[in-house]
Amino acid sequence: MNIDRLVDRTYYWIDEKARNTSLALARKLSRRNFLSRLGMFIAGAASFPLLPVSRSFAQDSIQEVGDPQSCDYWRYCAMSGTLCSCCGGSYTSCPPGSQPSPITWVGTCRNPVDGRNYLMSYNDCCGKAVCSRCGCHNTEGDKPVYFNSNSNTVLWCFGTEDTSYHCTVSLVLGTDDE
Amino acid sequence: MRLLLSLVLTVAAPLAMGQISPEEISVETLPEPGSNWFISKTGNGAYVFDAESGEMQGLLSLSRNTPAVTPYHPRQEFYAAESYMSRGVRGERTDLVAVYDFENLSPIAEIIIPNHMARLQVRRHLGLMNDGRHLAVLNMNPGHSVSIVDVEDRVFIYEISTPGCAVIMPVATSDFLQVCGDGTLQLIQLDLSGYEENRVRSDVFFNVIDDAVFDRATPSADGWILVTHAGVIFEVSTDDDEINIEDGWRLGAEDESDWRPGGNEFITAHKDYGLLYVAMHEGEVDTHHVPGDEIWVFDMATRNRVHRLELDVPADSIMVTQEAEPKLLVSDEEGGMHVYDAISFAFERTINAPGASHFEDF
Repeated sequence: MNIDRLVDRTYYWIDEKARNTSLALARKLSRRNFLSRLGMFIAGAASFPLLPVSRSFAQDSIQEVGDPQSCDYWRYCAMSGTLCSCCGGSYTSCPPGSQPSPITWVGTCRNPVDGRNYLMSYNDCCGKAVCSRCGCHNTEGDKPVYFNSNSNTVLWCFGTEDTSYHCTVSLVLGTDDE
Repeated sequence: MRLLLSLVLTVAAPLAMGQISPEEISVETLPEPGSNWFISKTGNGAYVFDAESGEMQGLLSLSRNTPAVTPYHPRQEFYAAESYMSRGVRGERTDLVAVYDFENLSPIAEIIIPNHMARLQVRRHLGLMNDGRHLAVLNMNPGHSVSIVDVEDRVFIYEISTPGCAVIMPVATSDFLQVCGDGTLQLIQLDLSGYEENRVRSDVFFNVIDDAVFDRATPSADGWILVTHAGVIFEVSTDDDEINIEDGWRLGAEDESDWRPGGNEFITAHKDYGLLYVAMHEGEVDTHHVPGDEIWVFDMATRNRVHRLELDVPADSIMVTQEAEPKLLVSDEEGGMHVYDAISFAFERTINAPGASHFEDF
């Protein structure tokens, strides 16, 4: 009987503490604040298992150096055309409203930061007038039109709704040591 | 007194005006093409010039994507491959071969072709067969093919698949050669209707990775002249279905190996005189699009260099006319266009011809 009363008192004490704490929090904090902190906690907890993977990505991320709006930027070694990074896009994104071509030519460029050679994909962005800014013509490894996979002379607006050339991006596909 | 003077002027002025008949606007027609006339191909059309006077004669309006235009004197017509988008840079695309007359430089016929044109301003992406009947247009979609058009009957014949091969170099009556990525030449022979009758491949004679043959070539007296990025010349010809490739020879001496050919349309030859002109620059591997600081001239019979023409501004495209007193036309990297005597190499004049991507003999 005493044991039962002790348990009841303990529950009552816990309930009372919880109620007082809740009331104190409610007086101090708004509901939105509580939810936001709860959300942060859940997100934080959820990210714990990802951390090793994220660290792994961080180690393999490409270290960039130079000005992406300059023809001398390391990614552009075999690029001919105008730079999307000067036209409202970036070296990996087409400017607003333009259409990325899925078919590309390729080149191999050395990143001066890590000294590794990267396989580059040069995708044309299409469907708008030529962006006449930052025209570049680099020919490292460039081949004639009859060897078109390595030819930077070709207009690569294939597979897009409109086939007019706008500008060019340069994406890393991998390294030559992979 | 003042009133009297005003009255006299008011009455006399219309009388004086009445003695001048009003001028009427007129439109010229193109006269018979003269010696050393040429076409300067640009991004918006083809400008017809007289190299001897420097005067412009007229303009062919062409699409921005036109690779080249070629005249055919027996029918007094030009043929051009064109590509248009219905809304300028968007909308429905239409590729076609347009026929223009000599007299007005105006379109007189259109032949619709598949929307597969390579759409690059390259002279050898268009070739009229030597019989003057079938025109070949280079396609890339992105695989290579060739559209054949009967320009006499104004009909599209068909599209020939030519995987891995590009460039159109007409030979014999109705055949053409192509350069292929596996280091060979391809000969396609057409029948009288324009359909492929025979296809032949040469032995491998170059390696595209080590030293690629340019996709710029120039006709010789009996075939074509090809050159590699490092400056090795190959003279090629055909005998029915046989492809003949002579041993390669190097432009310049052994100690001049750092000199390379380069630019846009940088190689040209006078067929009757056997003279070869190549724009050259000093540079490393992969500088094959760098304009030439000099134009080297070779006697094809002896393979000896007969002249080095030093230029103030590097040359991007060159062409020699085929006349008995030929002119050497040079477009430079700054947009200038110059005429030289192609035999004495004396500078003659500069012509205001902006944006010339290449030249065509007329």
